[in-house]
Amino acid sequence: MSRLNVIFLIVFVGLLIWITLFSPEKVGRIQRGAMVALNPFLKASSRLETGVKAMGEESLSPAQLKEKLSELKQERDRLKIEVIQFDGLLNENNQLRRALQYTERSARSLVAARVINRKPSNWYNTLIIDKGSFDGIVVDSPVIVPVGEDAGLVGKVSDVIGDHSAIVLLLTDEMCQVSAQLENSQEQGILSGARGVLRARPDLKLRYLSKAADAGTGRKVTSSGAGGLFPPDLLLGEVSDLKIGTIDAEATVKPSVNFDDLVDVFVVRPAPTRGTGDDEPSPSSDNNNAEENPEKKKGDTS
Amino acid sequence: MRFFGIIILLILTSFCLQEFMPVFEWAFASRLLLVHAVFYTAAVAIPFPMMLGLALMTGYIWDARYHMPIYSSDVIPEYFIQSEIPFGFTIFIFGVMGALIQGVRPLFRRGRWEMPVLMIGLCTTLGLLLEYLVISFHRGGLEIPTELWWKLLMTALFSTLVSPFLLLLLSRLAASVNYRIKNEGLKRRYTYDGDAI
Repeated sequence: MSRLNVIFLIVFVGLLIWITLFSPEKVGRIQRGAMVALNPFLKASSRLETGVKAMGEESLSPAQLKEKLSELKQERDRLKIEVIQFDGLLNENNQLRRALQYTERSARSLVAARVINRKPSNWYNTLIIDKGSFDGIVVDSPVIVPVGEDAGLVGKVSDVIGDHSAIVLLLTDEMCQVSAQLENSQEQGILSGARGVLRARPDLKLRYLSKAADAGTGRKVTSSGAGGLFPPDLLLGEVSDLKIGTIDAEATVKPSVNFDDLVDVFVVRPAPTRGTGDDEPSPSSDNNNAEENPEKKKGDTS
Repeated sequence: MRFFGIIILLILTSFCLQEFMPVFEWAFASRLLLVHAVFYTAAVAIPFPMMLGLALMTGYIWDARYHMPIYSSDVIPEYFIQSEIPFGFTIFIFGVMGALIQGVRPLFRRGRWEMPVLMIGLCTTLGLLLEYLVISFHRGGLEIPTELWWKLLMTALFSTLVSPFLLLLLSRLAASVNYRIKNEGLKRRYTYDGDAI
């Protein structure tokens, strides 16, 4: 090897070591910069994907669209009334909690977000959404979608990489571990995906169940709220198999959310802290009024 | 120097195009890693110091865009939260694989592309495997599902399929700016028993 090559190699190694020692804050700043630079291409690819998908779908006639709009308006009005009723119930509930000196429940708000990039990472089940710090989204905010009458857990925000972009770590990733419980039971375990399995809807594992767990096929699995990160009662999936080991049992769970079809998701914003001024609306809340609904399904973690 | 400028432009363009690369669910959630393919193709054509510089630039931008920073979960305490793959690891991968692929430069110069094409696929796979092993080391317990091998194989296949076109593009670009690939590192040849020729 020539002397010049050796010098370049030493410089390369030195720079490499220097880069690997960057603080997380600095890495965050670099990533935000990269995201700003590549955002136009990210959005263009998202539009292209949506366009390609739309080509295969049947288009509606103006009359059908009008009918659909009318239906949606009715649905919106019904939901508005429900929200008012829930607000009343929450206030009443909090009055009773105050009387009993319990911690008050707070209504969480949801931010609607659109998926703009799927699986950007090679080894992590992630996606990128078009809402970020500007919309009050923070790291660890749970991400949900409606599944029938329930709220299904999609994952959690693992990083906010810009004013209008955040990375969501999906429930199917091994690192998105959730304290889970079997529906109508006190049986709890930890739900997670498997390493190296990056299909759209892989089976999940519910570990550390007791050997006597009543986990028959089709039994619903919901979040328990025990870990504090995810609210309780979010639908996670259904038991498809149960293996009883020597000291505990492990259930195979079919996820309730179809991760391949995700287009719009809802991010649960952190509950405002009383008396700190945190309950002020976020800069974008006025713009997103149509998108935000008080969360109906979830309670608190207290 | 002009050729190196063209290569930098090619790399930057590949980053923009990478955003449009879909994940193929039928191919075990693999995709064409265009940036990797362009870098490895370029590594065949440029001298060692330039390859290192390109590895720094490409790896840095790749990590700035695709590095998975921090995770936490419902069951992992906050003090365990850290990144699994360090920022800058892709630079290391590109540096090592780039050095490996430099070995087939004379073949590329002679117009024999079979080996460079295979090496591009192999280096893409090895780089990914290295990342997976680091993640496994961090999480503990080496789990290697069958799906992993298929994913690696399909990613290598995509890179291998696209690399002849990239090699063709690069050789055309090199010809247009009168760039000649030199046989560095082969100035001193050795016989099988170690004597210099």
